[in-house]
Parts: sequence; structure tokens; C-alpha cells
Amino acid sequence: MNRIRPFAGALLIGAPAYLIFLLYAAGSPETTDVRYSPRQPLPYSHQVHAGKMGLDCRYCHTTVEGAAFAAVPPTSVCMNCHKTIASDKETTELLRRSMATGKPVPWVRVHDLPDYVYFDHHAHVRRGVGCVSCHGRIDRMEQVSQTKTLSMGWCLECHRDPAPQLRPPEFVTDMNWFPNEDARVLGDRLMKEKDISPSTDCSTCHR
Amino acid sequence: MSSLDRQHNHDAWWRSPDELADAPRLGEFLDAEFPAEADPGGINRRRWLQLMGASLALAAVSGCRWKEQEILPFAERPEGRTPGKIERFATAMPLGDTVVGLEVACVDGRPIKIDGNPRHPQSLGATDVFAQAALLELYDPDRSQSVTLQNVENSQERTWEQFAEACQARCRRLHKTHGGGFHVLAEASSSPTLAALRSRLLNAFPKAKWFEYEPTGDDNQRAGAVLTFGRPLRTHLRLDRAKIIVCLDADPLGTHPAAVQYARDFAAGRQPESGKMSRLYVVEGGVSLTGAAADHRLPLRPSEIPGFVARLENSCGAGAPPAFAQDRRDACTTTETFIRAVVGDLLANENHGRSIVCVGPSQPPEVHAAVHRLNAMLGNVGEKGTIAYTRTFDPERPSHVEAIRTLVDEIGAGHVDTLLILGGNPVYNAPADLAFGEALKRVEMSIHLSGYRDETSRHCTWHLPRAHFLESWDDGRSYDGTYSVIQPMIAPLRNGRSPIEVLSMLLPSTGKDAKPSPEELVSKTFREQIAGESSAPWRKVLRDGLLADSRWPVETISPLPLGEGLGVRADRGSGTRGQASDSLPHPSSLISHPLSPSPHPNPLPKRERTVGDEQLEVIFRNDRSVYDGRFANNSWLQELPDPITRLTWGGAALIGPATAEKLGIKNEELVVLKVDDRQTRIPVYVLPGQAPDTVELLLGYGRWAAGKVGGDVPEIEPVGVDVYPLRTTATMHTAVATIVPTGEIYRLAGTQDHHAIDAVGREATEKRAATLIRQATLEHYRQHPDFAQHSDEHPPLKSLWKEPEYEGHRWGMSIDLSKCSGCGACVVACQAENNIPVVGRQQVLKGREMHWLRVDRYFRGEPNNPELAYQPLPCQQCELAPCEQVCPAAATVHSHEGLNDMVYNRCVGIRYCANNCPYQVRRFNFFNYHKELEDPENEIAKMKYNPQVTVRCRGVMEKCTYCVQRIQEAKIAAKNSGEAIRDGQIQTACQQTCPTGAIVFGDLADQSSEVLRLRRSARAYAILAELNVRPRTIYLARIRNPNPELESSDRKHGSPTT
Repeated sequence: MNRIRPFAGALLIGAPAYLIFLLYAAGSPETTDVRYSPRQPLPYSHQVHAGKMGLDCRYCHTTVEGAAFAAVPPTSVCMNCHKTIASDKETTELLRRSMATGKPVPWVRVHDLPDYVYFDHHAHVRRGVGCVSCHGRIDRMEQVSQTKTLSMGWCLECHRDPAPQLRPPEFVTDMNWFPNEDARVLGDRLMKEKDISPSTDCSTCHR
Repeated sequence: MSSLDRQHNHDAWWRSPDELADAPRLGEFLDAEFPAEADPGGINRRRWLQLMGASLALAAVSGCRWKEQEILPFAERPEGRTPGKIERFATAMPLGDTVVGLEVACVDGRPIKIDGNPRHPQSLGATDVFAQAALLELYDPDRSQSVTLQNVENSQERTWEQFAEACQARCRRLHKTHGGGFHVLAEASSSPTLAALRSRLLNAFPKAKWFEYEPTGDDNQRAGAVLTFGRPLRTHLRLDRAKIIVCLDADPLGTHPAAVQYARDFAAGRQPESGKMSRLYVVEGGVSLTGAAADHRLPLRPSEIPGFVARLENSCGAGAPPAFAQDRRDACTTTETFIRAVVGDLLANENHGRSIVCVGPSQPPEVHAAVHRLNAMLGNVGEKGTIAYTRTFDPERPSHVEAIRTLVDEIGAGHVDTLLILGGNPVYNAPADLAFGEALKRVEMSIHLSGYRDETSRHCTWHLPRAHFLESWDDGRSYDGTYSVIQPMIAPLRNGRSPIEVLSMLLPSTGKDAKPSPEELVSKTFREQIAGESSAPWRKVLRDGLLADSRWPVETISPLPLGEGLGVRADRGSGTRGQASDSLPHPSSLISHPLSPSPHPNPLPKRERTVGDEQLEVIFRNDRSVYDGRFANNSWLQELPDPITRLTWGGAALIGPATAEKLGIKNEELVVLKVDDRQTRIPVYVLPGQAPDTVELLLGYGRWAAGKVGGDVPEIEPVGVDVYPLRTTATMHTAVATIVPTGEIYRLAGTQDHHAIDAVGREATEKRAATLIRQATLEHYRQHPDFAQHSDEHPPLKSLWKEPEYEGHRWGMSIDLSKCSGCGACVVACQAENNIPVVGRQQVLKGREMHWLRVDRYFRGEPNNPELAYQPLPCQQCELAPCEQVCPAAATVHSHEGLNDMVYNRCVGIRYCANNCPYQVRRFNFFNYHKELEDPENEIAKMKYNPQVTVRCRGVMEKCTYCVQRIQEAKIAAKNSGEAIRDGQIQTACQQTCPTGAIVFGDLADQSSEVLRLRRSARAYAILAELNVRPRTIYLARIRNPNPELESSDRKHGSPTT
């Protein structure tokens, strides 16, 4: 009986603590979202297109500077090249079928914010927040996966202190860009020049 | 004495008859600490635990990550389309024989919000409630989606092709008879394309007949114009130019087809700051929005109004106000005093040519004629005057009542074998004595084109689904004649077709192989009939939604001597005259143009209709929410509180307090109303201001085949009571009824007493009511322009809290109570913009309606003829907000721009904030009101949502955000372009749609902003300022312009309510 007592005590305190930890860890976006990489309907490789061939992000995601959504390109954009390149390969079959039938290619969403969050791409890109800041090294991904938690705490880190994430807007899509000077010094200068003062009010993102 | 009389106090504002009488039910409603909480909605505790257990288990099964989502881009994106961006297109909404110009916001090809077209002269960016709510109808899952062939036993689905075949077979037969036996019954339309197709149809089938029917139309106006001018003309008012406006049973600010424009014009004519201030007299039976805006209102039975007009004309003709019979005016009746005041104003030199006398559609043609003469006599008529006449549609057509009676006679005589019914719902709304539904059974092939499979569709052999106006090509003319185009915003969602498409199916091909597309039909009409000399390109017309300057030219005429007018078409419209006209007095000795008895079989009696004991004069009118019944399946409109009665989900029989007292009828008591041998049971609402011995009945309720919202017997109970069965060809506007109380009570879902606090709170409210609505006469205002700021006294305000400081934008709003007409368009606009759910009658009865913006109605004075005032109440966005201080979850917090942000995903639903809100503007989701959308059948209804606003779930508090999504969008755009936000660039949804421009939103930090200018105006005041909550929304005091002559004999009517 006496021997059980310390164990029982430890269990009494430890078990709930462990359960809480378990729940916390299981529910954390670090667990549920980071490295999320769903299989896409066709094996499109950002590594080949954005990395090896060096296509600019905006060649396909045309609306990123003018709208809240960085739209996934219509099939016709793919076909600009794939009419002639790899036009007989099995991998591009879905594109040709989409073009012929007018039915969309059913891409699977990777970066998915909750419905009560209103993120605006052009508000960020036009201020000089690089694609890489949120999406990671897309140019090295064979299949896109999520690299950041995209949690509210993570957003707020930058909204409270945007300087380290800023770059001149002309380099936003450049995955290999690094500042020539201290990132904070540059960021502070850009904030002043472009009057960047991100808000941390709730209604900035929640409407 | 009634409790009403005992309690009323001339200078206190009160919110409802129940409140004034301290009715026990209101006490019960308030005694439950949270009135809304008393009942958990029919689920007991045990059941709740079971459900919770089950949902937890489900949650565990479904895992931690939400469902995989697909992104479906276009195969080829349309040029200029940016996914997720709002595009705006011009179109128009047809309603009766007018259209309202609209601009529709579409996202990803689906319309999400309807606004007025700023270029359209009749809209200038504003709309009425019907246009705002049309969006919901577009996505209504109950709309019919298949062609149906119905015979005695059953109904079968058919395709349009099968209908076309049946139709061609029929047409071949009809060609042989030159169209004999072919009849068309159409609803009123202003479409030139439809008119062109109609004449082509009548050419192709020369013996075919075309009838037009609307249950409520302008029959009497047309007949009145024929009496006066020899041809039907349309009357146009210039309320902004007038100094004296006399409305006789007319409602230019409420139910008039051009009400949006008129409300704006009226507001423009009443600007206390500039000194321009018209005076409005209203004489009416029921209480209309115009009556609510009146400086002086005289409740009279409709049958007394012809006598009133005759005396008015007589006095004006004599050039002097009538002498008082007695030397003391105390001895005179109210009516005499009133006439004297009106005539005095009308004849005043400075008002010559600057007055308006207008009369409503329910008055007989002779009264219209008298008013035309009166206006001419007062010098009002002409292009530069306050009254203008223009042509109107189809001068040859008989009155609507005549038309449908002729049609039923023809059916009865067996002359009709093919009947095409284009829109409308005659089985439901035709005069009851015609028994239209029975008559239809005798027609071999009856075809009904209709958006819903409604009452008429169920009596016809063929039902065709009609495309919504947002899905079809058409055109139309607005009330002033401006040519407007209707273009589709989206392809038909329910397989519907428009009337012009159906008509062109019936027409023989004109040489070419293919039938022209609807767009070709419309553009052809434009090129051939409208464009004329103007070389306006079609694409520009499409872009603008209208052809500029295409309004009808003003006709220059002077009233003909009466005799000439009378002879022309006195038989027209006789049906509508019926009982109403038989009450016309015979003041031939008094007026300059004696009214000779018309050749009508019912000679005009000499006296006003006498009303015996327990007899009431019935007034029929369109409901302000469901119109004539056509919007009965629109839940936004059903749940919109009526501006006057504040009732939702069904109307009632409205009677005045004195009449109720006399007959011993309680509020909400069911009564049996008998008109001749027809009767119905209907609940009574005691409405202060309703004329004595009248009962007002609202058309449009009690639909039995409207849909899941409006009623679909036997599954779904109709909403409200159908009063069309009491309405016959002889009693289209008024009738005489007997009324028998039953003693049973039916609870009406009114909203005015909601959001009160408790008995103690109510006393405080009563005391404070005078400081909530601040009002003064023009005279008083001129002497003390800043009276509103001295209306309440309180100790110096000092905050317990750290006061926020603001940099950058400081959003604020001002609401001008002088301008607000109470129409409620803002409430529906807010609902559409902010994804606000509808809760249903049961929930409204519990005080759970969700409108973020409510329009409070206040009465003051004598209950039988009170003064009305409106106060729109959105969230006041307090700088020291009481709600923020009590939220334990930081779900409602202050933004740096002064917005009181509501964070739905933090809210835990304890509702302290709502408890602590002095304005009671917070709304709680007691249930998941969007739940029915999970039903795959309702997939289509999801498309109505504004993607920029979160759809709130159960257990979450919500409230007005000042349309923060619009603010954010403008801020991002401004920052991208590097330009500052212009004043007026951000409009809240309520502001955008307000016809009178009463609501102004803007940045208080911008020194040149309109909202700051108004905030600094002498009339500005904050409500409940003594609480030191520092609301960002302020009100501008209401200024009225009463006639001093009536004021002195009456009471201190417009004295400042301090």
C-alpha cells in the first residue's frame, strides 16, 4: 500500500499534465499543418518550373499583386508552353483534357487559413514581404508542402516587428535574395520609406 | 377612459401601445431576466447531453485537420476577371410597370449584393427594400426549376423542348383560326421589347386578345387623368421644389413606384440649415411613411377624403380660407381647423406655384380630377413647376379590373381555349368574386410562366419556370420614363426563361432560321425604337444600364373643362371605383367645376358613407414587405419589421385605439371580419394613428403555395392571413365590414418592445426617451440652433478608465433624424452585406431577431393621432465601450481607429457584453441559423453570402462593424496607390442604400470630411451621452415645420423635447 502511494501521487499529477501536453501537441499547427503536403492531381514540380527554369512566380500567379488571392493559373496558362513542350506525355494528359472539356484541374489546397481569416496577398507583396517568407523555398519543392505554421501567433510576430521580413518590392518573388546589409537596418528604412505600419487590430484580419 | 388615454402624456415619446398601456404581457416578456433565454428551443437536458456525446465522438473520428479542399481554376479565365474581386454591372429591377436602376456586385460570377445605380436618375445609388432583397430570391431553393405538365390526376416534369413541341402544335391550330380562342394575361410591364413582341404576336394572331392585370395598380390615376385631360397621363411630383405638400391618402415616400426618388427629393426640400423647409400635410386613413413624416396629419376615413378635397377646392377657388362657423376656433372640428390651415398655406402668395396636392391610388377618379384642377389653379403645373405630366404606357388599355373581368367573362362564355399567363398570380390575387381559379379549369390549355410553382401554376395545365431578372435580358422604363436595360448577372440557375423568350417561342420565325437570342431582341428594340437620333452605342447603354436623358418629355396641357373629360372613357376603371366612389359627396354648389353624376350605373350618393356600430371601413393596401404577395417567400422581407407596426412574419388588421376601445377589441385578438357574405379570421393590431372606424388590411399574406418560407399547404403553414378573399371587383380599395371579436389571442411577432431592459429600466427609458429623439420646430430651431446640445443635463463626465488615444483614421457616423423616413432599406442592405441570418417567427417572438441595425419607432402625444419619429440604431462604436470592459475572453476589443471590433472566434457566448450594452445593439446566435445550408438541396442558397464577411456559428455574439470589410478594402487600395482615402470613398451598406442620405460615414480625423462637419453641426447630439461611453455615431436632431396656426390650437406639438 505504501509503495503504491508515491506512484499514485505521481500518476495523479502526471497523468493530467501528460494528457494536457498530448492534447496541446496534437492540436498545435506545428503538428497538424507544417509539412502538410497533399498529393496533387498531376505531378507539377515547382522545383523544375520555378527553380530550374527560373519562371517568376507571377507568370502563373498573376493576381498576386492586384488582389487578395494569388490565383492558381487557369489551364490555358499551362498550355502556353505545354502545347509544344511535353505535349504527348502522360503527365500533361490532364491539362489537355481540361483544355478540351473546359473542366478545371482539381488542385488540392496546401496553404489553407481558417474561414474567419482574411489574408490579402497584394497588401503584403506590394509592401515587400517576399513569397519565401510565408511559403518557404518553393523553388526547391518537388511537391509543395507547408513550411510555416500560419498560426495567428506567427502572423503577429511579423505584424509586431515586420522589419526583418521586408525587402524592396522588386525582389519579392526572388527566392535567392539576401540583403546586402543588416536585414533590420534595411527593414527599418523600408518601413519609413513606404509608411509600413502593420496593424494588430483584430479587424485587420477578422471581419 | 382607456388605459391609453389615462396614461398618455403629450410630451413623452413612447415606443408601443403596450408600453403606453403597461400591458401585462410586456411585463412578462421583460421579467424573464433574459427574455430570450427562457426556453432552450425544445431540447431537454438529457437530449442535449446525448447530442454532445455523439458530436465529441464524431470530432475524434474526423481527425485533427479539416477536410482537404480543392482549388478549381478556370480552364480559360474570362478576360478581365480576377478571382475573388468584386465586379459591378448595371441592370434594373422590374416591379409593376416601372423599373429601378441597379448596380450589382458580383464575385466570381455570382451576384452578392444589389445597390442602386448611381447614374440612374430614379435611384442615384439608393434602392428600396424590394431591390435589396431580390438577391435572396435569386438564390431561393424553392424557385421552380422544371417545366411541368399537369392534368387532373398528377403533374409530370417536362423539358422546354417538349413544351416547344406542344406549343408549335397549338400554334398551327391557332393560325387556322387567326388566333381565335388565344388569350394572354400579362402582369404590368414597362418593357419596350415585350411591347414589341406583343404587337408582333397580335399581328400573327389577329384574333388573339391581350389583357394586363395587377392587383394594385394605377387604374384610378389613369381614369382621373382621362376625366381631366381626355387621356391617361402620369403625374410627377417635384417634392424638392415644393414649399407646401398636401398628401391625400397618397404615400409618395413609401409605396409610390418612384418612392426612392421622392424620398430623396423630399429630404432635399427640408434642410433646416439652409432655411429651405417644406411643410407636409397628410390626410389619410392608415398610417403611411408619408404620414409618419408629416408636420400635420389628419386621420380620415377614405370615404371622407373626397369631401375634404371638395372643400379644399372650393376654398381655394374662392381664394380664401373658409370662415369659421363660430367665432371661436375651439368650437370647430379638427377637420375644419385643418382645412383652414392647409388653404391658408396653399393660397399664401409666396407659395404660389410652389405647392403640391397629391392623391393616392385608392381614391376614385373624380378625386384625382379634382386634384388636377386644384394643382392647375394653384399654378403648380409645368416643367418649371412642382407637378409635371408625362405620357404613360398603352393609353388604350382598359383598367386592370376591367381586363380581368372581361377575361373571366370570355372564359365563362367558352371563348378561350389557350391562355398564356405571363407572370403574376391571378388565382391568388384576382378579385374574389371572379373565382379565377374555377374559371381556369374551363381552359383547355393554360400556361403559366412563373418563378415559383405558385397558386396559379397549380391551376394551369403547363407551368414554365421563369428566369429571375438577374438571370435574364430585358428592358424597361422607370417611373419618369428613363430607358433602362436589364442584363443577366448569371446564367439561369433554375432552368428558367424570361417572358420575352417565351413570347418569341410562340412567334413564327421571320425568315431567318434561328430564333434571335434575347440579347438580340433587346438590342433590336433599342436600335429601332429607342436610340432614334441619338447615336448612343449599345455597349455604352449596357455599361451605364440606361440611356441618358431618355425620360419622357413633359406634356404641356391645361385641364379640360370637366364635361369633355367625362365623356371620353367614363366606363373605364368603373370596377375600381365601385364602392370608393360611391362615397363621393356632391358639393356641386361649392366647387368651380361641378361634378356631374357620371354615366356609371351607380350614381354618386350625396353623403359620405355612414358607418354603423361594429361596422368599419376597410382599406386594402399592399404590404410594405411582401408587396402584393409576390415576395412572400423572401425571408429577408418577411422578417423585416414593418416601419409603422414593427410587425414581422405576417400582417394584421390594423385598427385605431379609439375604435378598439369602442368595439372592445384587444390588441392581438382574433376577430372575424365580414364583408358582405365573405369573411375571414384575422388578428388585430391596435395602431395609434389609424383613422377611427377604419380597418386596414394588408395584401400579400396567407399564401398557400409560395414556398418553404411563405407557406406551402399542407406542409408549411401560410404566413399571415390572406385578405384577397374579401376583395371583389367592387371593393378593390375600400369596403365596409363588420367585425366580431372572438376573444382568442394570436401573438404577433412585433419587434418594437424587444431590447427593452426591465420594469425599472423601462421607467428610465421613458424618462430618457425625450433625450433620445430630440426635436424642435423650425421656429424654435432658428432661435436656438443648438437646442439639441442642451436637451439633457449631466455632471461633468470623467472616465474611470484609461482613455484611448487615436492616431490615423477615426471612423464615425452621423444619422440625420430629419431625413430618415424609416423605410427600412438600410436594414435589408445590412443583412445582405453582412450575412445576417433570418431566425423565423418563433425566434422573433422570443426577441432573438438578428438585424444589426434596427430602426426604432417612437410615438408621441394623442394615441389616436400621434406624431411618429424614427431612429436607426446601429452599434454606436463607443470609444469607452461598456461591452469591452466585461468580456472575459477579449472577444470584443477596441481598434486603434476607434472601431469596437468583434472577434467571433474568441467569443465564448456568455453574453455579458449584450447585457452591458446601453444601446442593446448586440445580437446573439442562439442557434446555428445557417444550418439548413448544410442540406445539399440548399447548396444554391450559399451563393448569396458575401465572401468578405465571416458566417457566424451558434453561440457567438455579433453586431454592426461599420462594414469593416469595406474599410479594410479601401485602406489596402489607398496604400497601394499611395493616395489618401477620399471622403465618401468608403460607404457603409446602410449609407449606400439610404434613399434620403440620412446616414453619413467617414473619417473624423479628416478635417474636411462631411461626417466631421455634421458632427460639429449645432443639431448634433449623442444619445445616452451622460453614460460617458462616447459613441462614434451621433444623431442630428429632427426639425419639423408645423403651421403655427394649427400648433396654437392643437398643442405644443413641436416644442423641443427637453
